[in-house]
Amino acid sequence: MSLFTKRTVVVDGIRVEVLEAGSGEPLVYLHGAGTTIGFQDILPLSRSRRLIVPIHPGFGASDDDAGINSMLDYVVHYNALFDQLDLSSPVDLVGHSLGGWMAGLFTVLNGRRVRRLALACPAGLRVAEHPTADMFTIRAEQVPSYIVSSPEALARIPSTDLTVDMRVGRYRELTSLARIIWDKEYDPKLSRWLKWIRVPTLILWGTKDRITPVEQAKVWTSLISTSEIETFEGAGHLLFFEAPKAVGRLGSFLAK
Amino acid sequence: MSKLQPLQFYFMHFMPYPHVAPGRPQGQWVDIPNRRFDPKIGHKLYKEYIDELVLADRLGYDGLVVNEHHATFYSLMPSCSVIAGALAMLTERAKICVFGTPIALTYPHRLAEEYAMLDVMSGGRLECAFPLGTGMEYWVNPINPSFSRERFREGMDILMQAWTQPGPSRYDGEFYQYKYLNPFPLPYQKPHPKIYIVGSGTEETVNFAAEKGYGYSQVFTPIAAQLKSFENYRATATKNGQKHDSESIIISAIAFVAETEEKAIEEGKEHILFYFKNLLKTDSHLNSPPGYLPVDRLRKRLESGAIQETEVTWEGLTSAFRTVLGTPDQVAERIAFWCEQAQSSKIILHLHVGDMPHWKAVKNITLFAEEVIPRVRKFTSSALQVAAE
Repeated sequence: MSLFTKRTVVVDGIRVEVLEAGSGEPLVYLHGAGTTIGFQDILPLSRSRRLIVPIHPGFGASDDDAGINSMLDYVVHYNALFDQLDLSSPVDLVGHSLGGWMAGLFTVLNGRRVRRLALACPAGLRVAEHPTADMFTIRAEQVPSYIVSSPEALARIPSTDLTVDMRVGRYRELTSLARIIWDKEYDPKLSRWLKWIRVPTLILWGTKDRITPVEQAKVWTSLISTSEIETFEGAGHLLFFEAPKAVGRLGSFLAK
Repeated sequence: MSKLQPLQFYFMHFMPYPHVAPGRPQGQWVDIPNRRFDPKIGHKLYKEYIDELVLADRLGYDGLVVNEHHATFYSLMPSCSVIAGALAMLTERAKICVFGTPIALTYPHRLAEEYAMLDVMSGGRLECAFPLGTGMEYWVNPINPSFSRERFREGMDILMQAWTQPGPSRYDGEFYQYKYLNPFPLPYQKPHPKIYIVGSGTEETVNFAAEKGYGYSQVFTPIAAQLKSFENYRATATKNGQKHDSESIIISAIAFVAETEEKAIEEGKEHILFYFKNLLKTDSHLNSPPGYLPVDRLRKRLESGAIQETEVTWEGLTSAFRTVLGTPDQVAERIAFWCEQAQSSKIILHLHVGDMPHWKAVKNITLFAEEVIPRVRKFTSSALQVAAE
């Protein structure tokens, strides 16, 4: 298995880091609201594909962009980044959590740029009976037990005894998140727009997700007529971290 | 050393609710169970606290200061204008100081209206200070903390336009658009009441106050950090051609006066400790919601270890904050020293602190007015003479 190579791409004056591994048909992965766990869990996808993981502005090694304060800003950013990466023919797009929301909206607006779409426990929908957890009110020390389910996975999460750099890094990413979703942790219009996704779509979800409850999966599939659903027993919100089977299922969906 | 203006003594009340919830390492803010509030106790406290403020007016204090916090036992004033409205009618001489509603948490035109009402009701006795609001306020108000500073500045812009430009006028901002900005009434004082900015030392806030020609006051920070901010304030104000003098800086102190030093400590110390250990206490989750602090400021805080989660000690707080307990001579000497040190002629006195009972507050407010204030005036005027010779 290859490792990620890193490079810097400048989009509209903002330096963003782009991780890549493998070669073949491009596959873009939009990450969730935290980058500290890393992306080694999805590396198996790079066996037969060129896996591209761009880091969002305001996250990880990418610069902050003072102009970004909405999900739409991120979608517009990715439209430009796709141009810059020369992703001109339709590519496979995967999004996890916040990145799932982003990938979904990207596909609504840029359906022709996407061949297949996979959304892993995406955020962004308002499901009144099964609401998304409020990320901001969860205290730092409680976050691990919210994002994974099994004790084994919990043991692999970095300890809460964090260095100054880690605490500052986490605060910065939460700040970037607050800029777009403090007021509402969803887009009330998304349920109206998702029907315009017309590409084959896979919805993946862990049954023990404490951030975006698995009950939301059915709402996504009911709104996207071209979608299928796959759930993973016992897995939490960091689906690919906790359930390698989900990576395998994703790989076979994209290989079709 | 430049010359101080005549000193002004302001009495400030936090109006705490001292029946705190036990066993809360995160303090008495934000997620405190509000069912612990007893309205009968609240009613009694409001009467006592307002009596104390009215007494201070009768005793000759130059100003009565109230402020605002939300969802906390720290303060019974989620709206300082309500208390200020009562004071405007119950008092005769003292300035009414709303120090104040965080403008980012309310509609700016509404604050311009309310404060104008207070100024007119009090016959031109209003002074205003504008805080960003603590991080805790942003958990309990529907305002995004990551834009708090931008919203604060736009709010100040709107308030100033409302007070200084003939209405109706139009305002087109990032957060607010006004088709007809036209507050009624307008302030009694022209062009408007004195304005201060309350900060906690963030450089951009200090600069903002200095550039705009507002006064500046700093809270929740040790003396040394305050003095540094004051220096920056004066330098920036001068550079921007803004007039400033010893009234431009407000300092604050906790004081307890008694017949002897021993008695002052015996009567006052426990309430001051109560304030720091119970009411002022928060943790980083509650005081720094995402985006509230600039990221580099959080780094500085973490690196300097200056986080309020460490245990409060009497020695620590009395050396870091202006706190004095003693005889009138001892208290007067410290107050005079602090004013000289900060080159400030406006000092806020916290004379009711924490769970202090009404009788002690009345005693302290009275002794300070009758025994301390005349002594401080003597100290500072003789210091001025020495400086002049």
